[in-house]
Amino acid sequence: MKKERVKKESALRTGIMLFLVFFKIGCFTFGGGWAILAQMEQEFVDKRSLITKEELVEMVAVGKSVPGIMITNISMLFGYHVGGVIGGICTVLGITCPAIIILSIVTMFYNSFKNNYWVMAALTGIRAAVIPIIGSAALSLGQEVLRTRMAFVILGAAFALYLLGVSNIVLVLTAAGIALVYHAAGKRIKDDAETIIKGENN
Amino acid sequence: MIYLQLFFSFMKIGFTSFGGMSMVPLILEEMQSHGWMTARDLANLVAIAEMTPGPLGVNCATFTGTQTAGTLGGLVAVLGVLTPAFTLTLVIAIFFEKFKDSAVMRTVMKFVKPVCIAMLLGVLVTLGKDTYFSDGGLLIFSILISAVMMVLLRKYKWSVPKVIGLSALMGILFYGVLPLAQTIH
Repeated sequence: MKKERVKKESALRTGIMLFLVFFKIGCFTFGGGWAILAQMEQEFVDKRSLITKEELVEMVAVGKSVPGIMITNISMLFGYHVGGVIGGICTVLGITCPAIIILSIVTMFYNSFKNNYWVMAALTGIRAAVIPIIGSAALSLGQEVLRTRMAFVILGAAFALYLLGVSNIVLVLTAAGIALVYHAAGKRIKDDAETIIKGENN
Repeated sequence: MIYLQLFFSFMKIGFTSFGGMSMVPLILEEMQSHGWMTARDLANLVAIAEMTPGPLGVNCATFTGTQTAGTLGGLVAVLGVLTPAFTLTLVIAIFFEKFKDSAVMRTVMKFVKPVCIAMLLGVLVTLGKDTYFSDGGLLIFSILISAVMMVLLRKYKWSVPKVIGLSALMGILFYGVLPLAQTIH
Protein backbone atom coordinates (compact mmCIF):
# COMPACT_ATOMS: atom_id res chain seq x y z
CA MET A 1 0.00 0.00 0.00
CA LYS A 2 2.65 2.46 1.08
CA LYS A 3 4.94 1.40 -1.71
CA GLU A 4 2.20 2.02 -4.25
CA ARG A 5 1.69 5.54 -3.02
CA VAL A 6 5.40 6.27 -3.35
CA LYS A 7 5.33 4.93 -6.89
CA LYS A 8 2.37 7.13 -7.74
CA GLU A 9 4.08 10.20 -6.31
CA SER A 10 7.24 9.63 -8.28
CA ALA A 11 5.21 9.09 -11.45
CA LEU A 12 3.54 12.42 -10.80
CA ARG A 13 6.88 14.08 -10.20
CA THR A 14 8.25 12.68 -13.47
CA GLY A 15 5.11 13.89 -15.20
CA ILE A 16 5.53 17.42 -13.88
CA MET A 17 9.19 17.42 -14.91
CA LEU A 18 8.25 16.28 -18.42
CA PHE A 19 5.50 18.89 -18.64
CA LEU A 20 7.84 21.71 -17.65
CA VAL A 21 10.70 20.69 -19.94
CA PHE A 22 8.42 20.26 -22.93
CA PHE A 23 6.64 23.50 -22.12
CA LYS A 24 10.00 25.25 -22.36
CA ILE A 25 10.81 23.50 -25.63
CA GLY A 26 7.37 24.44 -26.98
CA CYS A 27 7.87 28.12 -26.15
CA PHE A 28 11.01 28.71 -28.12
CA THR A 29 10.89 26.39 -31.08
CA PHE A 30 9.99 28.08 -34.32
CA GLY A 31 9.75 26.15 -37.54
CA GLY A 32 7.71 23.11 -36.56
CA GLY A 33 8.57 19.50 -35.89
CA TRP A 34 12.19 19.17 -36.92
CA ALA A 35 13.37 22.13 -34.83
CA ILE A 36 11.62 20.61 -31.80
CA LEU A 37 13.37 17.29 -32.42
CA ALA A 38 16.76 18.97 -32.40
CA GLN A 39 15.90 20.47 -28.99
CA MET A 40 14.75 17.09 -27.69
CA GLU A 41 18.01 15.51 -28.70
CA GLN A 42 19.99 18.21 -26.91
CA GLU A 43 17.90 18.02 -23.76
CA PHE A 44 17.35 14.27 -23.38
CA VAL A 45 20.12 12.50 -25.25
CA ASP A 46 23.06 14.83 -24.54
CA LYS A 47 22.14 16.56 -21.28
CA ARG A 48 20.03 14.10 -19.28
CA SER A 49 20.86 10.79 -21.01
CA LEU A 50 17.27 9.58 -20.57
CA ILE A 51 17.29 7.83 -23.95
CA THR A 52 19.87 6.95 -26.56
CA LYS A 53 20.05 8.55 -29.97
CA GLU A 54 18.96 5.27 -31.60
CA GLU A 55 15.84 5.11 -29.43
CA LEU A 56 14.95 8.66 -30.41
CA VAL A 57 15.44 7.81 -34.10
CA GLU A 58 13.13 4.81 -33.71
CA MET A 59 10.50 6.98 -32.03
CA VAL A 60 10.71 9.49 -34.87
CA ALA A 61 10.26 6.74 -37.45
CA VAL A 62 7.17 5.41 -35.67
CA GLY A 63 5.79 8.87 -34.82
CA LYS A 64 5.99 9.85 -38.48
CA SER A 65 3.95 6.86 -39.64
CA VAL A 66 1.08 7.33 -37.19
CA PRO A 67 -1.76 9.69 -38.10
CA GLY A 68 -1.89 13.07 -36.40
CA ILE A 69 0.70 15.70 -35.57
CA MET A 70 4.18 14.19 -35.83
CA ILE A 71 5.69 15.99 -32.88
CA THR A 72 2.85 15.21 -30.47
CA ASN A 73 3.06 11.56 -31.48
CA ILE A 74 6.78 11.52 -30.79
CA SER A 75 6.16 13.35 -27.50
CA MET A 76 3.68 10.66 -26.47
CA LEU A 77 6.11 7.83 -27.34
CA PHE A 78 8.90 9.58 -25.47
CA GLY A 79 6.78 10.52 -22.43
CA TYR A 80 5.48 6.97 -22.10
CA HIS A 81 9.01 5.60 -22.34
CA VAL A 82 10.17 7.85 -19.48
CA GLY A 83 7.10 8.07 -17.26
CA GLY A 84 4.34 5.69 -18.34
CA VAL A 85 0.82 6.82 -19.25
CA ILE A 86 0.94 9.91 -17.01
CA GLY A 87 4.33 10.81 -18.46
CA GLY A 88 2.99 10.52 -21.99
CA ILE A 89 -0.03 12.71 -21.34
CA CYS A 90 2.05 15.34 -19.48
CA THR A 91 4.57 15.48 -22.33
CA VAL A 92 1.91 16.02 -24.99
CA LEU A 93 0.23 18.72 -22.88
CA GLY A 94 3.59 20.38 -22.23
CA ILE A 95 4.50 20.67 -25.90
CA THR A 96 1.05 21.96 -26.90
CA CYS A 97 0.26 24.44 -24.09
CA PRO A 98 2.60 27.23 -25.28
CA ALA A 99 1.14 27.02 -28.78
CA ILE A 100 -2.40 27.23 -27.39
CA ILE A 101 -1.60 30.27 -25.25
CA ILE A 102 0.32 32.13 -27.97
CA LEU A 103 -2.21 31.42 -30.71
CA SER A 104 -5.13 32.48 -28.49
CA ILE A 105 -3.50 35.87 -28.04
CA VAL A 106 -2.59 36.16 -31.73
CA THR A 107 -6.15 35.28 -32.77
CA MET A 108 -7.50 38.05 -30.53
CA PHE A 109 -5.21 40.58 -32.22
CA TYR A 110 -5.96 39.15 -35.66
CA ASN A 111 -9.64 39.87 -35.22
CA SER A 112 -9.12 43.47 -34.14
CA PHE A 113 -6.44 44.29 -36.71
CA LYS A 114 -7.32 42.36 -39.83
CA ASN A 115 -9.43 45.21 -41.24
CA ASN A 116 -6.76 47.87 -40.72
CA TYR A 117 -5.55 49.31 -44.05
CA TRP A 118 -1.86 48.58 -43.50
CA VAL A 119 -2.41 45.16 -41.96
CA MET A 120 -4.58 44.21 -44.92
CA ALA A 121 -1.82 45.28 -47.32
CA ALA A 122 0.76 43.24 -45.40
CA LEU A 123 -1.56 40.21 -45.31
CA THR A 124 -2.14 40.43 -49.06
CA GLY A 125 1.62 40.19 -49.53
CA ILE A 126 1.90 37.37 -47.00
CA ARG A 127 -0.83 35.33 -48.70
CA ALA A 128 1.19 35.51 -51.90
CA ALA A 129 4.09 33.93 -49.96
CA VAL A 130 1.92 31.15 -48.51
CA ILE A 131 1.48 29.62 -51.97
CA PRO A 132 5.23 29.08 -52.55
CA ILE A 133 5.55 27.90 -48.92
CA ILE A 134 2.96 25.17 -49.42
CA GLY A 135 4.28 24.55 -52.95
CA SER A 136 7.78 24.08 -51.59
CA ALA A 137 6.49 21.61 -48.99
CA ALA A 138 4.76 19.69 -51.79
CA LEU A 139 7.99 19.69 -53.81
CA SER A 140 10.06 18.38 -50.89
CA LEU A 141 7.49 15.67 -50.22
CA GLY A 142 7.54 14.83 -53.91
CA GLN A 143 11.32 14.44 -53.93
CA GLU A 144 11.00 12.06 -50.99
CA VAL A 145 8.03 10.05 -52.22
CA LEU A 146 7.87 10.06 -56.03
CA ARG A 147 10.54 7.44 -56.65
CA THR A 148 8.43 4.63 -58.08
CA ARG A 149 5.98 4.46 -60.96
CA MET A 150 3.29 3.38 -58.52
CA ALA A 151 3.69 6.61 -56.52
CA PHE A 152 3.06 8.66 -59.68
CA VAL A 153 0.00 6.57 -60.52
CA ILE A 154 -1.43 7.07 -57.01
CA LEU A 155 -0.73 10.82 -57.17
CA GLY A 156 -2.40 11.12 -60.58
CA ALA A 157 -5.42 9.08 -59.58
CA ALA A 158 -5.85 10.97 -56.32
CA PHE A 159 -5.61 14.37 -58.01
CA ALA A 160 -8.09 13.33 -60.71
CA LEU A 161 -10.53 12.13 -58.05
CA TYR A 162 -10.00 15.37 -56.14
CA LEU A 163 -10.89 17.40 -59.24
CA LEU A 164 -13.99 15.25 -59.64
CA GLY A 165 -15.05 16.37 -56.19
CA VAL A 166 -14.03 13.46 -53.98
CA SER A 167 -13.26 14.78 -50.50
CA ASN A 168 -9.76 14.69 -49.01
CA ILE A 169 -10.78 12.48 -46.09
CA VAL A 170 -12.26 9.89 -48.45
CA LEU A 171 -9.04 9.98 -50.52
CA VAL A 172 -6.81 9.34 -47.49
CA LEU A 173 -9.02 6.60 -46.09
CA THR A 174 -9.28 4.89 -49.48
CA ALA A 175 -5.51 4.96 -49.93
CA ALA A 176 -5.01 3.50 -46.45
CA GLY A 177 -7.65 0.83 -47.15
CA ILE A 178 -6.05 -0.18 -50.46
CA ALA A 179 -2.66 -0.31 -48.71
CA LEU A 180 -4.03 -2.70 -46.08
CA VAL A 181 -5.51 -4.99 -48.73
CA TYR A 182 -2.30 -4.81 -50.78
CA HIS A 183 -0.26 -5.68 -47.71
CA ALA A 184 -2.52 -8.59 -46.74
CA ALA A 185 -2.54 -9.94 -50.33
CA GLY A 186 1.23 -9.62 -50.63
CA LYS A 187 1.73 -11.52 -47.38
CA ARG A 188 -0.70 -14.25 -48.47
CA ILE A 189 1.14 -14.75 -51.77
CA LYS A 190 4.45 -14.90 -49.92
CA ASP A 191 3.05 -17.44 -47.42
CA ASP A 192 1.58 -19.56 -50.25
CA ALA A 193 4.90 -19.50 -52.10
CA GLU A 194 6.67 -20.59 -48.94
CA THR A 195 4.32 -23.54 -48.36
CA ILE A 196 4.73 -24.61 -52.00
CA ILE A 197 8.52 -24.46 -51.72
CA LYS A 198 8.37 -26.38 -48.46
CA GLY A 199 6.07 -28.95 -50.06
CA GLU A 200 8.49 -29.45 -52.96
CA ASN A 201 11.35 -29.93 -50.56
CA ASN A 202 9.41 -32.62 -48.76
CA MET B 1 -23.65 22.07 -30.40
CA ILE B 2 -20.69 23.96 -31.82
CA TYR B 3 -18.12 22.53 -29.38
CA LEU B 4 -18.92 18.93 -30.27
CA GLN B 5 -18.82 19.80 -33.97
CA LEU B 6 -15.41 21.41 -33.54
CA PHE B 7 -14.10 18.47 -31.56
CA PHE B 8 -15.22 15.88 -34.09
CA SER B 9 -14.07 17.95 -37.06
CA PHE B 10 -10.57 18.22 -35.66
CA MET B 11 -10.56 14.61 -34.56
CA LYS B 12 -11.34 13.69 -38.16
CA ILE B 13 -8.53 15.97 -39.36
CA GLY B 14 -6.15 14.45 -36.81
CA PHE B 15 -6.81 10.86 -37.79
CA THR B 16 -6.52 11.46 -41.54
CA SER B 17 -3.45 13.69 -41.65
CA PHE B 18 0.14 12.59 -41.77
CA GLY B 19 2.47 15.35 -40.74
CA GLY B 20 2.97 19.04 -41.42
CA MET B 21 1.40 20.77 -44.39
CA SER B 22 -0.70 17.76 -45.39
CA MET B 23 -3.08 18.88 -42.64
CA VAL B 24 -3.88 22.14 -44.42
CA PRO B 25 -6.07 20.69 -47.22
CA LEU B 26 -8.06 18.69 -44.68
CA ILE B 27 -8.58 21.75 -42.50
CA LEU B 28 -9.70 23.85 -45.48
CA GLU B 29 -12.22 21.20 -46.49
CA GLU B 30 -13.71 20.91 -43.00
CA MET B 31 -13.81 24.67 -42.48
CA GLN B 32 -15.54 25.33 -45.79
CA SER B 33 -18.08 22.55 -45.36
CA HIS B 34 -19.13 24.08 -42.01
CA GLY B 35 -18.79 27.65 -43.27
CA TRP B 36 -16.35 28.42 -40.44
CA MET B 37 -13.60 29.97 -42.46
CA THR B 38 -12.78 31.32 -45.93
CA ALA B 39 -9.80 30.35 -48.09
CA ARG B 40 -8.41 33.82 -47.36
CA ASP B 41 -8.53 33.28 -43.58
CA LEU B 42 -6.86 29.91 -44.03
CA ALA B 43 -3.97 31.43 -46.01
CA ASN B 44 -3.51 34.04 -43.27
CA LEU B 45 -3.64 31.27 -40.70
CA VAL B 46 -0.91 29.23 -42.39
CA ALA B 47 1.33 32.30 -42.33
CA ILE B 48 0.56 32.97 -38.64
CA ALA B 49 1.08 29.32 -37.70
CA GLU B 50 4.44 29.30 -39.46
CA MET B 51 5.61 32.42 -37.65
CA THR B 52 4.68 31.35 -34.12
CA PRO B 53 6.33 28.55 -32.11
CA GLY B 54 4.67 25.17 -31.80
CA PRO B 55 3.39 22.51 -34.20
CA LEU B 56 1.33 23.67 -37.19
CA GLY B 57 -1.62 21.41 -36.34
CA VAL B 58 -2.03 22.76 -32.81
CA ASN B 59 -1.67 26.34 -34.02
CA CYS B 60 -4.32 25.80 -36.69
CA ALA B 61 -6.73 24.14 -34.26
CA THR B 62 -6.36 26.92 -31.68
CA PHE B 63 -6.85 29.65 -34.28
CA THR B 64 -9.87 28.05 -35.93
CA GLY B 65 -11.53 27.01 -32.68
CA THR B 66 -11.05 30.44 -31.12
CA GLN B 67 -12.30 32.19 -34.27
CA THR B 68 -15.39 30.01 -34.37
CA ALA B 69 -16.36 29.65 -30.72
CA GLY B 70 -14.03 31.60 -28.43
CA THR B 71 -11.34 30.31 -26.08
CA LEU B 72 -13.27 27.18 -25.12
CA GLY B 73 -13.73 26.45 -28.83
CA GLY B 74 -9.97 26.66 -29.28
CA LEU B 75 -9.34 24.21 -26.44
CA VAL B 76 -11.92 21.76 -27.75
CA ALA B 77 -10.43 21.90 -31.26
CA VAL B 78 -6.94 21.22 -29.88
CA LEU B 79 -8.22 18.26 -27.87
CA GLY B 80 -9.80 16.96 -31.06
CA VAL B 81 -6.62 17.22 -33.09
CA LEU B 82 -4.69 15.54 -30.25
CA THR B 83 -7.00 12.51 -30.07
CA PRO B 84 -4.72 10.32 -32.23
CA ALA B 85 -1.81 11.02 -29.84
CA PHE B 86 -3.91 10.22 -26.76
CA THR B 87 -5.40 7.02 -28.19
CA LEU B 88 -3.60 5.35 -31.08
CA THR B 89 -0.10 6.58 -30.26
CA LEU B 90 -0.53 5.67 -26.59
CA VAL B 91 -1.43 2.11 -27.54
CA ILE B 92 1.56 2.00 -29.89
CA ALA B 93 3.80 3.35 -27.12
CA ILE B 94 2.71 0.45 -24.92
CA PHE B 95 3.48 -2.09 -27.66
CA PHE B 96 6.42 -0.12 -29.00
CA GLU B 97 8.82 -3.04 -29.44
CA LYS B 98 6.34 -4.91 -31.61
CA PHE B 99 5.40 -1.89 -33.68
CA LYS B 100 8.91 -0.63 -34.35
CA ASP B 101 9.45 -2.28 -37.72
CA SER B 102 5.85 -2.56 -38.80
CA ALA B 103 5.65 -3.47 -42.49
CA VAL B 104 1.93 -2.63 -42.51
CA MET B 105 2.50 1.01 -41.60
CA ARG B 106 5.28 1.28 -44.17
CA THR B 107 2.91 0.08 -46.88
CA VAL B 108 0.19 2.47 -45.70
CA MET B 109 2.63 5.38 -45.88
CA LYS B 110 3.66 4.34 -49.39
CA PHE B 111 0.04 4.76 -50.50
CA VAL B 112 -0.94 7.76 -48.39
CA LYS B 113 2.07 10.02 -49.04
CA PRO B 114 1.37 10.48 -52.79
CA VAL B 115 -2.23 11.28 -51.85
CA CYS B 116 -0.88 13.99 -49.52
CA ILE B 117 0.90 15.56 -52.51
CA ALA B 118 -2.31 15.47 -54.54
CA MET B 119 -4.17 17.16 -51.67
CA LEU B 120 -1.52 19.87 -51.45
CA LEU B 121 -1.85 20.52 -55.19
CA GLY B 122 -5.60 20.79 -54.68
CA VAL B 123 -5.23 23.32 -51.89
CA LEU B 124 -2.81 25.32 -54.05
CA VAL B 125 -5.48 25.61 -56.75
CA THR B 126 -8.04 26.85 -54.21
CA LEU B 127 -5.69 29.33 -52.56
CA GLY B 128 -4.31 30.45 -55.94
CA LYS B 129 -7.78 31.47 -57.10
CA ASP B 130 -8.24 33.61 -54.01
CA THR B 131 -4.73 35.05 -53.98
CA TYR B 132 -4.20 35.97 -57.63
CA PHE B 133 -7.71 36.88 -58.72
CA SER B 134 -9.61 39.53 -56.86
CA ASP B 135 -12.87 41.19 -57.97
CA GLY B 136 -12.35 39.95 -61.51
CA GLY B 137 -8.83 41.43 -61.78
CA LEU B 138 -5.46 39.74 -61.80
CA LEU B 139 -3.16 40.73 -58.92
CA ILE B 140 0.16 41.02 -60.74
CA PHE B 141 2.11 42.07 -57.66
CA SER B 142 0.98 38.93 -55.83
CA ILE B 143 2.30 36.76 -58.65
CA LEU B 144 5.56 38.68 -58.50
CA ILE B 145 5.83 38.16 -54.71
CA SER B 146 5.10 34.43 -55.08
CA ALA B 147 7.78 34.04 -57.74
CA VAL B 148 10.41 35.89 -55.70
CA MET B 149 9.59 33.89 -52.55
CA MET B 150 9.73 30.57 -54.40
CA VAL B 151 13.26 31.38 -55.58
CA LEU B 152 14.31 32.52 -52.08
CA LEU B 153 12.86 29.36 -50.52
CA ARG B 154 14.18 26.79 -52.96
CA LYS B 155 17.38 28.28 -54.33
CA TYR B 156 18.64 30.41 -51.43
CA LYS B 157 17.14 28.22 -48.66
CA TRP B 158 15.58 31.15 -46.82
CA SER B 159 13.70 30.20 -43.64
CA VAL B 160 9.91 30.50 -43.70
CA PRO B 161 9.60 33.32 -41.10
CA LYS B 162 12.11 35.39 -43.11
CA VAL B 163 10.13 34.82 -46.32
CA ILE B 164 6.92 35.85 -44.58
CA GLY B 165 8.57 38.97 -43.19
CA LEU B 166 9.83 40.11 -46.59
CA SER B 167 6.50 39.38 -48.28
CA ALA B 168 4.71 41.46 -45.63
CA LEU B 169 7.00 44.39 -46.44
CA MET B 170 6.39 43.91 -50.17
CA GLY B 171 2.65 43.75 -49.48
CA ILE B 172 2.77 47.05 -47.56
CA LEU B 173 4.71 48.62 -50.43
CA PHE B 174 2.57 47.32 -53.33
CA TYR B 175 -0.86 47.29 -51.71
CA GLY B 176 -0.43 50.03 -49.10
CA VAL B 177 2.00 52.73 -50.21
CA LEU B 178 1.52 52.47 -53.98
CA PRO B 179 -2.29 52.99 -54.05
CA LEU B 180 -1.92 55.95 -51.67
CA ALA B 181 0.79 57.48 -53.85
CA GLN B 182 -1.42 57.09 -56.89
CA THR B 183 -4.37 58.88 -55.28
CA ILE B 184 -2.12 61.78 -54.25
CA HIS B 185 -1.01 62.33 -57.87
